[in-house]
Amino acid sequence: MSSVNVNGKDVELDEDGFLNDPADWNNDMAAYFATQEDVTELTEDHWKMINYLREYFQKFGVAPMVRKLCKDTGFPLKEVYELFPSGPAKGACKIAGLPKPTGCV
Amino acid sequence: MIKPPMHIAKEKEVEAIGFPMVPEAELLNQAKEKLKHMKESMRSLMVMLETCTKCGNCAQQCHSYLGTQDYNNFPAARAELMRRVYKRYFTLQGKLFGSFAGAEDFDAETLTKWLTYFYQCNECRRCAVFCPFGIDTAEVTIAARHILSELGIMPRFMQGIAVNMIKTGNNMGLPAPAIIDNAEFMEDEILEETGIVVKVPIDKPNSDVLYVPSSADFFTNIDTMIGAAKMFHMLGLNWTISSAILEAANFGLLFNLDVMEEHNKRIVNEAKKFGAKLVIQGECGHGWRAAKMYTEGASGPVPFEIKHVLEVAAENIDRLPHKKLSMRVTLHDPCNYGRGGNIIEQPRKILRTIVDDFVEMTPNREENFCCGGGSGLLMDEMKDIRMQLGKKKFEQVQALGKLDYFAIPCSICKAQLPTVMEHYGNNDLKMGGLMDLVGKSLIIS
Repeated sequence: MSSVNVNGKDVELDEDGFLNDPADWNNDMAAYFATQEDVTELTEDHWKMINYLREYFQKFGVAPMVRKLCKDTGFPLKEVYELFPSGPAKGACKIAGLPKPTGCV
Repeated sequence: MIKPPMHIAKEKEVEAIGFPMVPEAELLNQAKEKLKHMKESMRSLMVMLETCTKCGNCAQQCHSYLGTQDYNNFPAARAELMRRVYKRYFTLQGKLFGSFAGAEDFDAETLTKWLTYFYQCNECRRCAVFCPFGIDTAEVTIAARHILSELGIMPRFMQGIAVNMIKTGNNMGLPAPAIIDNAEFMEDEILEETGIVVKVPIDKPNSDVLYVPSSADFFTNIDTMIGAAKMFHMLGLNWTISSAILEAANFGLLFNLDVMEEHNKRIVNEAKKFGAKLVIQGECGHGWRAAKMYTEGASGPVPFEIKHVLEVAAENIDRLPHKKLSMRVTLHDPCNYGRGGNIIEQPRKILRTIVDDFVEMTPNREENFCCGGGSGLLMDEMKDIRMQLGKKKFEQVQALGKLDYFAIPCSICKAQLPTVMEHYGNNDLKMGGLMDLVGKSLIIS
């Protein structure tokens, strides 16, 4: 576990650099995580994905299935990887403040 | 002192899954006690620790050693990490002559080596196929990981999965509302594709069949689940999935045998709850071994039969309406099918029936090489090592030339192999489960 100071606020991260407590998420954190995930700028498309992930997470407590995410946001998987180079389960979840999906993924 | 290559669970995390963290001062004594208990309760372990003649046959058969070139990953050397301590305390020559007889005190460095190297063994059992005495290093690894966990020493990755399993009954931590939402999504996908209503029932009372998929089939590998649902529909089965055991994987086998037993009991309880006479396990290698081989060991005789989804498919595919898919496909034998659970000819029968060009990789069946992620070595921080462990598999696949599909019917393989193939430069190969292809071949009505 480590902690990071973003805009004057100390926030705890887990070993993989994901938020330890999803409640710590805000736009500044998203911008910070973007720098960790090879995303140079959070565009409107990034935010569409981030907002979708957050809404799903708030409703169900987990990340959505990858295909559902693609279908509901209209981004084919290839474009998801262009937006978030480390993929939907890693980069996209991290930037959106979700816990890291674990298990056989 | 060497540094283990993975994140280790902290005291609070270890306690969260009901394990005591043994204080450092008591660690070595307790380790000795636990080894003693293990050798007494697992007779096969004692035979394996007594028998090795260091002939070296296993070195060239182990993808872990071939990929990492690390001496401690040579199966006989890996087992030696336990054997030396065993000799020191439990054999006369070790007690009398110590290191002259190849014996070594149990010290902190030995424990660190255990953690480091028993978590670079994929528990694939290939060494056992080639060992003249049949020494199975996977059994030594299983025992070592079990002892470590009882001392409170385990990878953070295993601990995280155990937490999810306790909370939700699956490794990914999917709560029941998410499972139901996902099932409905898959039903919609099938309807959109075929125009036919196929149910993916969750917690349906009075079901004859309980299906236990991998939770990854509800996240990344949904075509595997869709293929199984289409087949059950065509077979007219009265089946359900239980939201309390949406997990074919049983990580207990991979880090703590009591956790494995709990998982097996969960299957038994859910099968009884729904009145199932048949439990079908989905595409998962080690989970199949755990369910098939140890369910009755954990719970005594059970009132149902346990089958693998590929057994059911192989028995029925001929009589179900299907089309031949025009594609060149090879098959990876997950270790625990080929060397731990007798799922060898069934996938071949299926492939010969549903595709027009099935090619074998070399070697295959019980001599196949592991994907390199086996035994749950999927942690991100071990990626470099995992890629070395997967090198042999990459070479096997590459030797076949152009392929349309790589059938890898196990969730760990499905998580590991796309990364391996990409790592070594093959970005185009499509891969996934075998039930995925069954689903595409079936003509449903």
